[in-house]
Amino acid sequence: MHISYNQKEVLKGINLSVEKGEVVSFIGPSGTGKTTLLKCINYLEKPQQGEIQIGDLHLNYQSLSKQDILKLRRKTAMVFQMFNIFKHKTVIQNVMDAQIAVQKKSKNEAYAMSLKQLENVGLKDKINEYPSRLSGGQLQRVGIARGLALEPELILFDEPTSALDPELVEEVLKVIEDVAKSGMTTLLVTHEMDFAKRISDKVVFMENGHIVEVGTPEQIFEKSVNVRTRQFLKKIYAEQDQQKLNIKGG
Amino acid sequence: MTLETGMQELLMEFLKTLPINIIIIILSAALGLLFAVLLTFVRLKRIPVISQLADLYVSFARSVPGLILLFIAYFGIPKVLPLIGLGTYDISPMHAAIISMGFYHSGYISEVFRPAYLAVEKSQHEAADSLGYTPMQKFFRIILPQMVPVALPGYGNALVYLIHDTSLIFAIGIVDIMGTAELSIARSYGTNQILIYFIIALMFSAMCFTTDGLVRKLEKRVAIR
Ligand SMILES: Nc1ncnc2c1ncn2[C@@H]1O[C@H](COP(=O)(O)OP(=O)(O)OP(=O)(O)O)[C@@H](O)[C@H]1O
Ligand SMILES: [Mg+2]
Repeated sequence: MHISYNQKEVLKGINLSVEKGEVVSFIGPSGTGKTTLLKCINYLEKPQQGEIQIGDLHLNYQSLSKQDILKLRRKTAMVFQMFNIFKHKTVIQNVMDAQIAVQKKSKNEAYAMSLKQLENVGLKDKINEYPSRLSGGQLQRVGIARGLALEPELILFDEPTSALDPELVEEVLKVIEDVAKSGMTTLLVTHEMDFAKRISDKVVFMENGHIVEVGTPEQIFEKSVNVRTRQFLKKIYAEQDQQKLNIKGG
Repeated sequence: MTLETGMQELLMEFLKTLPINIIIIILSAALGLLFAVLLTFVRLKRIPVISQLADLYVSFARSVPGLILLFIAYFGIPKVLPLIGLGTYDISPMHAAIISMGFYHSGYISEVFRPAYLAVEKSQHEAADSLGYTPMQKFFRIILPQMVPVALPGYGNALVYLIHDTSLIFAIGIVDIMGTAELSIARSYGTNQILIYFIIALMFSAMCFTTDGLVRKLEKRVAIR
Protein backbone atom coordinates (compact mmCIF):
# COMPACT_ATOMS: atom_id res chain seq x y z
CA MET A 1 0.00 0.00 0.00
CA HIS A 2 1.35 3.41 -0.98
CA ILE A 3 0.06 6.88 -0.33
CA SER A 4 1.40 10.35 -0.95
CA TYR A 5 0.25 13.93 -0.62
CA ASN A 6 1.58 16.50 -3.04
CA GLN A 7 4.22 14.07 -4.16
CA LYS A 8 5.41 13.57 -0.61
CA GLU A 9 5.13 9.90 0.02
CA VAL A 10 3.54 9.28 3.40
CA LEU A 11 3.13 5.52 3.34
CA LYS A 12 5.86 3.80 1.44
CA GLY A 13 4.88 0.23 0.85
CA ILE A 14 3.09 -1.24 3.81
CA ASN A 15 2.46 -4.94 3.92
CA LEU A 16 0.65 -6.47 6.82
CA SER A 17 -1.70 -9.31 7.50
CA VAL A 18 -3.90 -9.65 10.52
CA GLU A 19 -5.73 -12.78 11.63
CA LYS A 20 -9.39 -12.76 12.52
CA GLY A 21 -9.79 -11.88 16.18
CA GLU A 22 -6.26 -10.56 16.48
CA VAL A 23 -5.48 -7.38 18.41
CA VAL A 24 -2.77 -5.32 16.73
CA SER A 25 -1.31 -2.11 18.09
CA PHE A 26 0.57 0.47 16.05
CA ILE A 27 3.18 2.61 17.73
CA GLY A 28 5.67 5.11 16.36
CA PRO A 29 6.65 8.77 16.29
CA SER A 30 4.25 11.55 15.33
CA GLY A 31 3.78 12.13 11.62
CA THR A 32 4.80 8.59 10.76
CA GLY A 33 1.62 7.71 8.93
CA LYS A 34 -0.26 5.66 11.51
CA THR A 35 -3.49 7.59 11.13
CA THR A 36 -3.08 7.59 7.38
CA LEU A 37 -2.70 3.82 7.40
CA LEU A 38 -5.92 3.31 9.37
CA LYS A 39 -7.76 5.72 7.10
CA CYS A 40 -6.58 3.86 4.02
CA ILE A 41 -8.18 0.72 5.36
CA ASN A 42 -11.65 2.26 5.13
CA TYR A 43 -10.77 4.59 2.26
CA LEU A 44 -11.07 7.85 4.16
CA GLU A 45 -7.66 8.36 2.60
CA LYS A 46 -7.11 7.19 -0.93
CA PRO A 47 -3.99 5.13 -1.54
CA GLN A 48 -2.56 5.40 -5.06
CA GLN A 49 -1.96 1.71 -5.23
CA GLY A 50 -2.33 -1.38 -3.17
CA GLU A 51 -4.69 -4.15 -2.29
CA ILE A 52 -6.75 -5.02 0.70
CA GLN A 53 -8.50 -8.18 1.73
CA ILE A 54 -10.98 -8.38 4.57
CA GLY A 55 -12.59 -11.78 4.91
CA ASP A 56 -13.93 -12.64 1.47
CA LEU A 57 -13.76 -9.06 0.20
CA HIS A 58 -10.70 -8.59 -1.95
CA LEU A 59 -10.16 -5.17 -3.48
CA ASN A 60 -7.59 -3.30 -5.49
CA TYR A 61 -7.34 0.40 -4.61
CA GLN A 62 -6.76 1.41 -8.20
CA SER A 63 -10.05 0.04 -9.40
CA LEU A 64 -12.54 0.69 -6.61
CA SER A 65 -16.14 1.32 -7.57
CA LYS A 66 -18.45 3.35 -5.37
CA GLN A 67 -20.04 0.10 -4.26
CA ASP A 68 -16.64 -1.33 -3.31
CA ILE A 69 -15.93 1.68 -1.14
CA LEU A 70 -19.23 1.28 0.67
CA LYS A 71 -18.61 -2.45 1.14
CA LEU A 72 -15.18 -1.77 2.57
CA ARG A 73 -16.52 0.86 4.94
CA ARG A 74 -19.38 -1.35 6.05
CA LYS A 75 -17.02 -4.11 7.10
CA THR A 76 -14.97 -1.75 9.24
CA ALA A 77 -15.73 0.66 12.04
CA MET A 78 -13.53 3.56 13.05
CA VAL A 79 -13.10 5.27 16.40
CA PHE A 80 -11.56 8.72 16.05
CA GLN A 81 -9.13 10.67 18.15
CA MET A 82 -11.56 13.60 18.35
CA PHE A 83 -14.60 11.29 18.75
CA ASN A 84 -16.47 12.71 15.72
CA ILE A 85 -19.85 12.32 17.33
CA PHE A 86 -22.78 13.76 15.35
CA LYS A 87 -23.49 17.03 17.10
CA HIS A 88 -27.15 17.35 16.24
CA LYS A 89 -28.15 13.91 17.49
CA THR A 90 -28.63 12.51 20.94
CA VAL A 91 -26.45 9.69 22.17
CA ILE A 92 -28.86 6.98 21.13
CA GLN A 93 -29.61 8.66 17.80
CA ASN A 94 -25.88 8.71 17.11
CA VAL A 95 -25.77 4.97 17.57
CA MET A 96 -29.06 4.23 15.79
CA ASP A 97 -28.73 6.36 12.68
CA ALA A 98 -26.31 4.31 10.63
CA GLN A 99 -28.17 1.12 11.48
CA ILE A 100 -31.31 2.65 10.03
CA ALA A 101 -29.67 4.41 7.06
CA VAL A 102 -26.97 1.94 6.15
CA GLN A 103 -28.22 -1.40 7.39
CA LYS A 104 -31.91 -0.67 6.77
CA LYS A 105 -32.89 -1.92 10.19
CA SER A 106 -36.26 -0.98 11.64
CA LYS A 107 -36.30 1.71 14.29
CA ASN A 108 -37.12 -0.82 16.98
CA GLU A 109 -34.32 -3.18 16.03
CA ALA A 110 -31.85 -0.30 15.87
CA TYR A 111 -33.02 1.00 19.22
CA ALA A 112 -32.62 -2.37 20.90
CA MET A 113 -29.15 -2.87 19.47
CA SER A 114 -28.10 0.66 20.43
CA LEU A 115 -29.37 0.26 23.95
CA LYS A 116 -27.40 -2.95 24.32
CA GLN A 117 -24.20 -1.37 23.01
CA LEU A 118 -24.61 1.74 25.16
CA GLU A 119 -25.21 -0.42 28.19
CA ASN A 120 -21.98 -2.27 27.47
CA VAL A 121 -20.01 0.96 27.46
CA GLY A 122 -21.75 2.17 30.63
CA LEU A 123 -23.88 4.94 29.13
CA LYS A 124 -27.37 3.61 29.66
CA ASP A 125 -28.38 6.64 31.70
CA LYS A 126 -27.13 9.11 29.06
CA ILE A 127 -28.95 7.86 25.99
CA ASN A 128 -31.07 10.97 25.55
CA GLU A 129 -28.34 13.52 26.20
CA TYR A 130 -26.91 15.72 23.47
CA PRO A 131 -23.15 15.49 22.82
CA SER A 132 -22.49 19.01 24.12
CA ARG A 133 -23.39 17.77 27.60
CA LEU A 134 -20.99 14.83 27.70
CA SER A 135 -17.36 14.54 28.75
CA GLY A 136 -14.68 13.44 26.31
CA GLY A 137 -14.57 10.01 27.87
CA GLN A 138 -18.31 9.61 27.47
CA LEU A 139 -18.19 10.86 23.88
CA GLN A 140 -15.51 8.37 23.02
CA ARG A 141 -17.57 5.56 24.50
CA VAL A 142 -20.50 6.67 22.33
CA GLY A 143 -18.12 6.48 19.37
CA ILE A 144 -17.19 2.92 20.26
CA ALA A 145 -20.82 1.89 20.74
CA ARG A 146 -21.73 3.49 17.42
CA GLY A 147 -19.06 1.48 15.61
CA LEU A 148 -19.83 -1.80 17.32
CA ALA A 149 -23.57 -1.47 16.72
CA LEU A 150 -22.89 -2.06 13.03
CA GLU A 151 -21.27 -5.40 13.86
CA PRO A 152 -18.15 -4.76 11.81
CA GLU A 153 -15.54 -7.40 11.06
CA LEU A 154 -12.78 -5.04 12.00
CA ILE A 155 -12.54 -2.08 14.34
CA LEU A 156 -9.99 0.71 13.95
CA PHE A 157 -9.00 2.89 16.89
CA ASP A 158 -6.96 6.01 16.12
CA GLU A 159 -5.40 7.27 19.35
CA PRO A 160 -8.75 6.95 21.09
CA THR A 161 -7.52 8.40 24.38
CA SER A 162 -5.01 11.05 23.41
CA ALA A 163 -7.55 13.89 23.35
CA LEU A 164 -8.82 13.00 26.83
CA ASP A 165 -8.07 14.50 30.20
CA PRO A 166 -5.86 12.06 32.11
CA GLU A 167 -8.57 11.10 34.58
CA LEU A 168 -10.89 10.03 31.73
CA VAL A 169 -8.40 7.78 29.95
CA GLU A 170 -8.97 4.75 32.14
CA GLU A 171 -12.74 4.45 31.52
CA VAL A 172 -12.15 4.40 27.77
CA LEU A 173 -9.23 1.96 27.90
CA LYS A 174 -11.42 -0.36 29.93
CA VAL A 175 -14.04 -0.38 27.15
CA ILE A 176 -11.41 -0.91 24.46
CA GLU A 177 -10.02 -3.80 26.42
CA ASP A 178 -13.47 -5.38 26.57
CA VAL A 179 -13.79 -5.01 22.80
CA ALA A 180 -10.35 -6.47 22.18
CA LYS A 181 -11.11 -9.43 24.41
CA SER A 182 -14.49 -10.07 22.81
CA GLY A 183 -12.83 -11.60 19.76
CA MET A 184 -13.28 -8.52 17.56
CA THR A 185 -10.39 -7.98 15.17
CA THR A 186 -8.87 -4.78 16.49
CA LEU A 187 -6.33 -2.34 15.09
CA LEU A 188 -5.23 0.29 17.59
CA VAL A 189 -2.95 3.28 17.13
CA THR A 190 -1.84 4.44 20.54
CA HIS A 191 0.74 6.20 22.64
CA GLU A 192 -0.38 4.24 25.72
CA MET A 193 2.52 1.81 25.73
CA ASP A 194 1.56 -0.14 28.84
CA PHE A 195 -1.91 -0.64 27.49
CA ALA A 196 -0.64 -1.78 24.09
CA LYS A 197 1.70 -4.20 25.78
CA ARG A 198 -1.09 -5.64 27.88
CA ILE A 199 -3.83 -6.18 25.32
CA SER A 200 -2.06 -6.76 21.98
CA ASP A 201 -1.35 -10.00 20.23
CA LYS A 202 0.94 -8.15 17.88
CA VAL A 203 2.68 -4.79 17.97
CA VAL A 204 3.74 -2.87 14.87
CA PHE A 205 6.41 -0.20 15.16
CA MET A 206 6.22 2.34 12.34
CA GLU A 207 8.51 5.15 11.35
CA ASN A 208 8.56 7.47 8.33
CA GLY A 209 5.89 5.60 6.46
CA HIS A 210 7.54 2.22 6.88
CA ILE A 211 6.87 -0.71 9.13
CA VAL A 212 10.13 -1.09 11.02
CA GLU A 213 9.30 -4.07 13.16
CA VAL A 214 6.39 -6.40 13.89
CA GLY A 215 6.30 -8.75 16.83
CA THR A 216 4.64 -9.87 20.01
CA PRO A 217 4.48 -7.25 22.74
CA GLU A 218 7.32 -9.03 24.47
CA GLN A 219 9.54 -8.98 21.38
CA ILE A 220 8.94 -5.31 20.72
CA PHE A 221 8.89 -3.88 24.21
CA GLU A 222 11.52 -6.02 25.89
CA LYS A 223 13.66 -7.95 23.47
CA SER A 224 13.85 -5.73 20.42
CA VAL A 225 17.29 -5.64 18.84
CA ASN A 226 16.23 -2.95 16.41
CA VAL A 227 18.01 0.31 17.20
CA ARG A 228 15.14 2.49 16.02
CA THR A 229 12.54 0.65 18.09
CA ARG A 230 14.68 0.89 21.18
CA GLN A 231 15.40 4.55 20.67
CA PHE A 232 11.69 5.32 20.26
CA LEU A 233 10.71 3.38 23.37
CA LYS A 234 13.45 4.96 25.41
CA LYS A 235 12.24 8.39 24.44
CA ILE A 236 8.61 7.56 25.22
CA TYR A 237 9.45 6.09 28.61
CA ALA A 238 11.60 9.10 29.47
CA GLU A 239 8.69 11.38 28.58
CA GLN A 240 6.32 9.34 30.70
CA ASP A 241 8.67 9.46 33.69
CA GLN A 242 9.00 13.18 33.22
CA GLN A 243 5.21 13.52 33.29
CA LYS A 244 4.93 11.43 36.42
CA LEU A 245 7.55 13.57 38.10
CA ASN A 246 5.68 16.69 37.07
CA ILE A 247 2.48 15.35 38.56
CA LYS A 248 4.17 14.38 41.81
CA GLY A 249 6.08 17.63 41.99
CA GLY A 250 2.76 19.46 41.52
CA MET B 1 -65.75 62.94 0.06
CA THR B 2 -64.81 63.07 3.72
CA LEU B 3 -61.30 62.44 4.85
CA GLU B 4 -62.38 59.27 6.58
CA THR B 5 -64.02 57.54 3.65
CA GLY B 6 -61.16 58.68 1.44
CA MET B 7 -58.79 57.04 3.83
CA GLN B 8 -60.84 53.85 3.90
CA GLU B 9 -60.94 53.63 0.12
CA LEU B 10 -57.24 54.17 -0.07
CA LEU B 11 -56.55 51.40 2.42
CA MET B 12 -58.85 49.07 0.47
CA GLU B 13 -56.90 49.80 -2.67
CA PHE B 14 -53.67 48.96 -0.94
CA LEU B 15 -55.03 45.76 0.50
CA LYS B 16 -56.28 44.74 -2.95
CA THR B 17 -52.85 45.10 -4.49
CA LEU B 18 -50.88 43.70 -1.57
CA PRO B 19 -51.36 40.09 -2.79
CA ILE B 20 -49.38 40.99 -5.91
CA ASN B 21 -46.36 41.81 -3.76
CA ILE B 22 -46.87 38.71 -1.68
CA ILE B 23 -47.14 36.44 -4.72
CA ILE B 24 -44.01 37.92 -6.24
CA ILE B 25 -42.15 37.58 -2.96
CA ILE B 26 -43.16 33.95 -2.46
CA LEU B 27 -42.51 32.86 -6.04
CA SER B 28 -39.19 34.63 -6.36
CA ALA B 29 -38.13 33.28 -2.96
CA ALA B 30 -39.00 29.76 -4.15
CA LEU B 31 -37.24 30.22 -7.49
CA GLY B 32 -34.25 31.78 -5.73
CA LEU B 33 -34.03 28.93 -3.23
CA LEU B 34 -34.17 26.29 -5.94
CA PHE B 35 -31.57 28.00 -8.07
CA ALA B 36 -29.33 28.76 -5.08
CA VAL B 37 -29.29 25.10 -4.10
CA LEU B 38 -28.20 24.18 -7.60
CA LEU B 39 -25.62 26.99 -7.69
CA THR B 40 -24.17 26.12 -4.32
CA PHE B 41 -23.91 22.45 -5.25
CA VAL B 42 -22.07 23.30 -8.45
CA ARG B 43 -19.76 25.74 -6.67
CA LEU B 44 -18.87 23.27 -3.94
CA LYS B 45 -18.32 20.41 -6.36
CA ARG B 46 -15.48 22.31 -8.01
CA ILE B 47 -16.32 21.10 -11.49
CA PRO B 48 -13.87 22.80 -13.87
CA VAL B 49 -15.33 25.75 -15.82
CA ILE B 50 -18.90 25.19 -14.55
CA SER B 51 -17.99 26.05 -10.97
CA GLN B 52 -16.12 29.17 -12.07
CA LEU B 53 -19.12 30.24 -14.12
CA ALA B 54 -21.33 29.74 -11.06
CA ASP B 55 -18.94 31.85 -8.96
CA LEU B 56 -19.00 34.55 -11.59
CA TYR B 57 -22.78 34.44 -11.73
CA VAL B 58 -23.02 34.88 -7.96
CA SER B 59 -20.69 37.88 -7.99
CA PHE B 60 -22.73 39.39 -10.81
CA ALA B 61 -26.10 38.83 -9.16
CA ARG B 62 -24.83 40.31 -5.92
CA SER B 63 -23.17 43.33 -7.44
CA VAL B 64 -25.84 44.57 -9.84
CA PRO B 65 -28.70 46.59 -8.30
CA GLY B 66 -32.05 44.81 -8.34
CA LEU B 67 -33.66 47.54 -10.40
CA ILE B 68 -31.18 47.01 -13.23
CA LEU B 69 -31.75 43.26 -13.18
CA LEU B 70 -35.45 43.94 -13.34
CA PHE B 71 -35.01 46.07 -16.48
CA ILE B 72 -32.66 43.52 -18.01
CA ALA B 73 -35.24 40.78 -17.48
CA TYR B 74 -38.17 42.79 -18.70
CA PHE B 75 -36.62 44.38 -21.75
CA GLY B 76 -33.84 41.86 -22.40
CA ILE B 77 -35.58 38.49 -22.31
CA PRO B 78 -37.96 39.22 -25.22
CA LYS B 79 -34.93 40.22 -27.28
CA VAL B 80 -32.80 37.26 -26.29
CA LEU B 81 -35.35 34.45 -26.65
CA PRO B 82 -35.64 34.70 -30.45
CA LEU B 83 -31.85 34.85 -30.72
CA ILE B 84 -31.52 31.44 -29.09
CA GLY B 85 -34.37 30.07 -31.17
CA LEU B 86 -37.09 30.00 -28.56
CA GLY B 87 -39.60 31.98 -30.56
CA THR B 88 -40.86 35.46 -29.96
CA TYR B 89 -43.11 36.37 -27.14
CA ASP B 90 -43.33 39.22 -24.74
CA ILE B 91 -42.65 38.55 -21.15
CA SER B 92 -45.28 39.77 -18.73
CA PRO B 93 -44.08 42.22 -16.08
CA MET B 94 -45.03 39.70 -13.39
CA HIS B 95 -42.82 37.03 -14.92
CA ALA B 96 -39.97 39.46 -15.41
CA ALA B 97 -40.26 40.51 -11.77
CA ILE B 98 -40.29 36.95 -10.45
CA ILE B 99 -37.38 35.87 -12.63
CA SER B 100 -35.16 38.86 -11.90
CA MET B 101 -35.93 38.98 -8.18
CA GLY B 102 -35.52 35.21 -7.90
CA PHE B 103 -32.14 35.20 -9.59
CA TYR B 104 -30.99 38.21 -7.66
CA HIS B 105 -32.00 36.51 -4.42
CA SER B 106 -30.30 33.24 -5.43
CA GLY B 107 -26.92 34.99 -5.60
CA TYR B 108 -27.33 36.26 -2.08
CA ILE B 109 -28.42 33.02 -0.52
CA SER B 110 -25.86 30.91 -2.33
CA GLU B 111 -23.38 33.10 -0.49
CA VAL B 112 -25.17 32.08 2.73
CA PHE B 113 -25.41 28.35 1.94
CA ARG B 114 -21.82 27.87 0.83
CA PRO B 115 -20.19 29.00 4.09
CA ALA B 116 -22.86 27.10 6.04
CA TYR B 117 -21.82 23.92 4.25
CA LEU B 118 -18.16 24.65 4.84
CA ALA B 119 -18.86 25.32 8.52
CA VAL B 120 -19.74 21.67 9.11
CA GLU B 121 -16.54 20.12 10.39
CA LYS B 122 -14.63 17.59 8.36
CA SER B 123 -14.90 15.23 11.32
CA GLN B 124 -18.65 14.92 10.70
CA HIS B 125 -18.03 13.90 7.10
CA GLU B 126 -15.41 11.39 8.15
CA ALA B 127 -17.64 9.81 10.75
CA ALA B 128 -20.49 9.38 8.29
CA ASP B 129 -18.17 8.06 5.59
CA SER B 130 -16.58 5.62 7.97
CA LEU B 131 -20.00 4.26 8.90
CA GLY B 132 -20.81 3.56 5.26
CA TYR B 133 -23.37 6.28 4.51
CA THR B 134 -23.87 6.97 0.82
CA PRO B 135 -23.12 10.59 -0.13
CA MET B 136 -26.86 11.32 -0.26
CA GLN B 137 -27.52 9.77 3.14
CA LYS B 138 -24.60 11.68 4.59
CA PHE B 139 -25.86 14.95 3.20
CA PHE B 140 -29.47 14.65 4.28
CA ARG B 141 -28.98 12.95 7.66
CA ILE B 142 -25.78 14.53 8.91
CA ILE B 143 -24.63 17.59 6.97
CA LEU B 144 -27.86 19.43 6.12
CA PRO B 145 -29.25 19.36 9.67
CA GLN B 146 -26.03 21.01 10.84
CA MET B 147 -26.03 23.55 7.99
CA VAL B 148 -29.56 24.78 8.58
CA PRO B 149 -28.95 26.44 11.97
CA VAL B 150 -25.87 28.18 10.55
CA ALA B 151 -27.64 29.35 7.41
CA LEU B 152 -30.97 30.50 8.85
CA PRO B 153 -30.01 33.94 10.18
CA GLY B 154 -28.36 34.90 6.87
CA TYR B 155 -31.24 33.42 4.93
CA GLY B 156 -33.69 35.47 6.98
CA ASN B 157 -31.75 38.62 6.13
CA ALA B 158 -31.76 37.75 2.45
CA LEU B 159 -35.54 37.33 2.57
CA VAL B 160 -35.87 40.78 4.10
CA TYR B 161 -33.75 42.25 1.29
CA LEU B 162 -35.93 40.45 -1.23
CA ILE B 163 -39.05 41.95 0.31
CA HIS B 164 -37.50 45.41 0.15
CA ASP B 165 -36.53 44.95 -3.46
CA THR B 166 -40.09 44.23 -4.48
CA SER B 167 -40.70 47.94 -3.86
CA LEU B 168 -39.03 48.41 -7.25
CA ILE B 169 -41.31 46.33 -9.40
CA PHE B 170 -43.74 49.16 -10.16
CA ALA B 171 -40.97 50.51 -12.35
CA ILE B 172 -41.93 48.04 -15.06
CA GLY B 173 -45.61 48.88 -14.73
CA ILE B 174 -46.86 46.43 -12.13
CA VAL B 175 -49.59 47.94 -10.02
CA ASP B 176 -48.57 46.59 -6.65
CA ILE B 177 -48.71 48.58 -3.42
CA MET B 178 -46.02 50.95 -4.64
CA GLY B 179 -47.81 51.32 -7.95
CA THR B 180 -51.04 52.09 -6.11
CA ALA B 181 -49.21 54.62 -3.99
CA GLU B 182 -47.78 56.42 -7.01
CA LEU B 183 -51.18 56.55 -8.71
CA SER B 184 -52.86 57.84 -5.60
CA ILE B 185 -50.23 60.50 -5.06
CA ALA B 186 -50.60 61.62 -8.64
CA ARG B 187 -54.38 61.79 -8.27
CA SER B 188 -54.13 64.04 -5.20
CA TYR B 189 -51.38 66.17 -6.76
CA GLY B 190 -48.97 65.14 -4.03
CA THR B 191 -51.01 66.43 -1.11
CA ASN B 192 -51.15 63.07 0.69
CA GLN B 193 -47.64 62.00 -0.22
CA ILE B 194 -46.22 61.70 3.28
CA LEU B 195 -49.22 59.81 4.58
CA ILE B 196 -49.10 57.33 1.73
CA TYR B 197 -45.41 56.63 2.00
CA PHE B 198 -45.92 56.14 5.68
CA ILE B 199 -48.61 53.54 5.01
CA ILE B 200 -46.33 51.79 2.52
CA ALA B 201 -43.53 51.80 5.08
CA LEU B 202 -45.84 50.14 7.59
CA MET B 203 -46.88 47.50 5.08
CA PHE B 204 -43.31 46.59 4.18
CA SER B 205 -42.35 46.56 7.78
CA ALA B 206 -45.27 44.24 8.58
CA MET B 207 -44.15 41.80 5.86
CA CYS B 208 -40.56 41.85 7.08
CA PHE B 209 -41.65 41.46 10.66
CA THR B 210 -43.72 38.40 9.87
CA THR B 211 -40.89 36.83 7.88
CA ASP B 212 -38.38 37.56 10.60
CA GLY B 213 -40.68 36.05 13.20
CA LEU B 214 -41.11 32.87 11.17
CA VAL B 215 -37.37 32.52 10.62
CA ARG B 216 -36.70 33.07 14.32
CA LYS B 217 -39.21 30.38 15.23
CA LEU B 218 -37.53 28.00 12.84
CA GLU B 219 -34.12 28.91 14.27
CA LYS B 220 -35.30 27.90 17.72
CA ARG B 221 -36.64 24.62 16.42
CA VAL B 222 -33.47 23.57 14.60
CA ALA B 223 -30.93 24.87 17.09
CA ILE B 224 -28.31 22.30 18.04
CA ARG B 225 -28.40 21.66 21.74
N1 LIG C 1 -4.38 15.63 4.30
C1 LIG C 1 -3.05 15.69 4.33
N2 LIG C 1 -2.38 16.46 3.44
C2 LIG C 1 -1.05 16.54 3.45
N3 LIG C 1 -0.25 15.87 4.30
C3 LIG C 1 -0.84 15.09 5.21
C4 LIG C 1 -2.27 14.95 5.27
N4 LIG C 1 -2.55 14.10 6.28
C5 LIG C 1 -1.40 13.74 6.80
N5 LIG C 1 -0.35 14.31 6.16
C6 LIG C 1 1.07 14.11 6.46
O1 LIG C 1 1.28 12.73 6.42
C7 LIG C 1 2.18 12.33 7.42
C8 LIG C 1 1.59 11.22 8.23
O2 LIG C 1 0.49 11.72 8.96
P1 LIG C 1 -0.33 10.84 10.00
O3 LIG C 1 -1.39 11.70 10.54
O4 LIG C 1 -0.74 9.59 9.33
O5 LIG C 1 0.75 10.53 11.12
P2 LIG C 1 0.55 9.80 12.51
O6 LIG C 1 1.52 8.70 12.55
O7 LIG C 1 -0.88 9.46 12.72
O8 LIG C 1 0.99 10.92 13.54
P3 LIG C 1 0.39 11.31 14.99
O9 LIG C 1 1.02 10.38 15.96
O10 LIG C 1 0.82 12.72 15.17
O11 LIG C 1 -1.10 11.18 14.91
C9 LIG C 1 2.52 13.57 8.21
O12 LIG C 1 3.78 14.02 7.79
C10 LIG C 1 1.45 14.55 7.85
O13 LIG C 1 1.96 15.85 7.87
MG1 LIG D 1 -2.39 10.16 14.05
